[in-house]
Amino acid sequence: MTPALTTRTRSAALLAAAILGVMVIAAISYEAFVPQRQIRHAMISLDKQDSWQAFGGTWRFADGVMTNNSDERGAKLMTGSVDWSNYSVEADVFLLGQYGDAGLIIRGNDEETGVDAYHGYMAGLRDLDNTLMMGRADYGWREYAAKTISPRVDAEQWYHLKFLAFECDFAVSATAQKGETTTIAIRDPGCIKSGRFGLKSYNTGAQWRNVEVRPATQSDLEAMIGKQQPQLAVPTRLPSGMEAAPYDRFLEPIERDLRAHRSAVNTQAISSLRLLSPEVPSSVTVQGVVTLTSPMLYIQDSTGGLAIDSSRPHAPLQIGDEVEASGDADLRDFSSELRNADIHVLWSHTPVSPVAVAASQAATGSFDAQYVEVQGRLEEKHDDGHGTEILTLEDESQSFIALVTGLGRSPHLEALKEKSKLRLRGICTVDSRYTHDLTAFALLLPSAGDIEVLEGPPWWNSAHILEVAGGVLLLALASVTGFYFVERLRMQSVLDERQRLAHEMHDTLAQSFAGLGFQLAAIREDVRDGIDIMPQLEQAQEMVRNSHEEARRSISALRPELLESAGLLSTLEMCARRIVSQSTSVEVKTASEGTVQSLPLGVSDTLLRIGYEAITNAIRHARCSRLTISLLYGSATVELIVEDDGVGFVISSDSAGFGIRGMHKRADNISAQFRIDSAPGRGTSVHVLAPIPPSLARAIARRWLVQLKVRKAQNEFTGI
Amino acid sequence: MARTIGLDLYWNGPMRDDDTHTQISLIEKSVDRGVVGVIVSPIQTLPLRTPIRKVLDQGIPVVVIDTELGIPPGPKLSYVLNDENIGGRIAARRVGLILQGKGSIAIVGIRPELKSNTLRERSFESTLSSEFPGIHVAVRRLGLSSVPQEQHNAEGLLTGSQSLDAIVALSLAATRGTYYALAEFAKVQTIKLVGFDQDLLPPIRDGGIDSVVVQNTFEIGRTAMNLMNREIQGGSGSEASVAPVLLTRDNLDSAEMRQIENMSWWSSE
Repeated sequence: MTPALTTRTRSAALLAAAILGVMVIAAISYEAFVPQRQIRHAMISLDKQDSWQAFGGTWRFADGVMTNNSDERGAKLMTGSVDWSNYSVEADVFLLGQYGDAGLIIRGNDEETGVDAYHGYMAGLRDLDNTLMMGRADYGWREYAAKTISPRVDAEQWYHLKFLAFECDFAVSATAQKGETTTIAIRDPGCIKSGRFGLKSYNTGAQWRNVEVRPATQSDLEAMIGKQQPQLAVPTRLPSGMEAAPYDRFLEPIERDLRAHRSAVNTQAISSLRLLSPEVPSSVTVQGVVTLTSPMLYIQDSTGGLAIDSSRPHAPLQIGDEVEASGDADLRDFSSELRNADIHVLWSHTPVSPVAVAASQAATGSFDAQYVEVQGRLEEKHDDGHGTEILTLEDESQSFIALVTGLGRSPHLEALKEKSKLRLRGICTVDSRYTHDLTAFALLLPSAGDIEVLEGPPWWNSAHILEVAGGVLLLALASVTGFYFVERLRMQSVLDERQRLAHEMHDTLAQSFAGLGFQLAAIREDVRDGIDIMPQLEQAQEMVRNSHEEARRSISALRPELLESAGLLSTLEMCARRIVSQSTSVEVKTASEGTVQSLPLGVSDTLLRIGYEAITNAIRHARCSRLTISLLYGSATVELIVEDDGVGFVISSDSAGFGIRGMHKRADNISAQFRIDSAPGRGTSVHVLAPIPPSLARAIARRWLVQLKVRKAQNEFTGI
Repeated sequence: MARTIGLDLYWNGPMRDDDTHTQISLIEKSVDRGVVGVIVSPIQTLPLRTPIRKVLDQGIPVVVIDTELGIPPGPKLSYVLNDENIGGRIAARRVGLILQGKGSIAIVGIRPELKSNTLRERSFESTLSSEFPGIHVAVRRLGLSSVPQEQHNAEGLLTGSQSLDAIVALSLAATRGTYYALAEFAKVQTIKLVGFDQDLLPPIRDGGIDSVVVQNTFEIGRTAMNLMNREIQGGSGSEASVAPVLLTRDNLDSAEMRQIENMSWWSSE
């Protein structure tokens, strides 16, 4: 027992060691060959959009900055691996609006579009209460800590955030450009162990830059928070501002917000700018919704649109922002412009709908600087070499151009075909900087998505007409060639048939007439010599009857419809029975073996004629009592056998009578093998083995069958 | 509550207040996940009718919060509604109290397309006229969709010729926008503001906003969960109303308000 047990134990130990070894090697290989699962100290490429996954928001990368212009609640942009555990993320963060927060997510999992729809930790800056805050989302938000930032959290100012996760300890620090560093640390005993990282904003747009990720260690954590242990994570029970004191700090961002949205009292309608004196410089304040931001800023109110020289610094603007702009009115011939404008956003997300106008209406200038929808047929498109795509369009009597800027290579634009009918939405302008005084107006399109293809180019263009003409010519040429080819084949066929008929007549009727001639000549001699001519007359009569029979058989053989309707074997049987009924009582039998196939007309016709001949010989000359007609179908051959139990004959070179030569020749014409077996007193059998030429369908079927057999053989071999 | 009755919660919502499409999509996804019940607070009334009917057709219990869809409560459908009549009455009595029964007021944030808003306005005006005939409604303004727009609206009101003693704002956006305008024109002390649903607490503590009629969201949530549990157990659906409360500087730190405002319900403890 003991040695056996020892051996078994040793084997088990060896097996366990082997399994462990394999697991270690697999783990090392896994880590080595799946690099995305490793955290490396790296700047994160914000421009590689394929590696980021957006959950809500309108994300855009430009000039090294990732921007979410949306003030949705909880827009997320995630990247990295769900296997990442101990790491830190750093980034500069910039809030675009009030009453929101923006920051970083670490250890994120199961993200979805929605408010706090993920599992993970988030830390960020909140301007509502001037705090750096941190918490955990599990499809719902639990805030663990919020600490006041010094001096405060301002929108439109960069802050540096560092968010670190090590084991179940989390630390976040925020540093203002000219302020102190604020740090929070918590310990979450039931923490989420690993996950991706991401950017997140809530209730405001935000920007991120210099995003950096690196592995984190205990010493990295201590570098942020020192040696003391983080406080245990306990959700805060009260929302911001609920605390009794101090609350002044909560009022400050509120006051900033109300100032941001405060509007001037003396705003005037955009259309009223036309009433200002062109001689006296006028400072005006207007209010409207942004309809275009590039290449020029345009706003629109209910009375009209206005171009704004937006060279002065202002907050990033989006289409749909309601803004207030104060500046100098610059009145032009057909349009106005606001210069040296100060702009501030009153509110967002009030997009203007375009007015549908005809090109002829737009050309009047009545819709200058307004957001319109126009239809036109694309005449030409080209790139000006500076990132602007210029489309030239026409609608009835008006030509106009449409400009789309800053797109790079847009697949949508590249797919547009000339002569297509398009619907375009953009700012109508009569400004000569865009029309170059070549057209009445131009359209400035916000994006390529503002072009809609109503219908493709008409099919009847010059290229297609040329193609069709060429095609028709080729078709006619092919038809004529084909016609002559077919005609030639037909003529050849007629000639072949004529030749065959000539041979037939030569072998049958001509021979009979010649024999009859000789017989009549003999009768004439016998009459002159006074010899009894009755026997010769009877012989002549017999010859005429035979010739008549021969002619009937030939005519019958020329009627392919009989073959088609009754089939080869039945036709031969009918023929045999007809001859039998005229002469003696002979038992006629037929037999068919193999799978009956449709035969080419040439083959069946030849077999029919040879069969006639053989049957006639058997009944007329062999004095047989039994006649058997057989057709044996092979995969690529058909064999006709006509067999009798008659007197038989000795086969020799002299025995080529009885039409044997004709049968032989017919067999040769279809490349068939012809053979006669006979001996005196032992009957006669005629064999014709003809090949069946493969048709296309038959060839395909045969090939499929071969493949099937090969596959079956393979399956049998492999045991499937 | 859900945990005590053995239910797991999947909580999600659209990221914009006007994103009905996403809300419908979230409902459909929840059903695909195989949830045993759906509690929903519709962003809009009419577009949610068909999606909720489809959920009910699958035999899944539904509790609708804050609005009636027009589908009567039944075996699988319950409603938990904020009692707008009481809300309107509370606001009217507060205005009557602070103006001591006489004065001129404006009503802003009127949204005829929202049934709840209409109910609270009618209840307010009805109570005001019957109990405080000395208070005159001088201006009525339709509501707008954002705080800045409401601020702009209120700026026009404050620069107009009407002399006002108080403003009643019927929505969150209208309350906050009006407060901004009052602060901007330094009239928070002279024109009292009584609002609805507003969740910025510092101005209340500061006195910038006199008071806010707030929904008892804690009680609404608890009632909804109770009704859901009853439906899951095979009980019949019903309609429940939860009375709102008046949040003022004086009761901000009271036990009742802390229960409404605190976040302990989300704790995993």
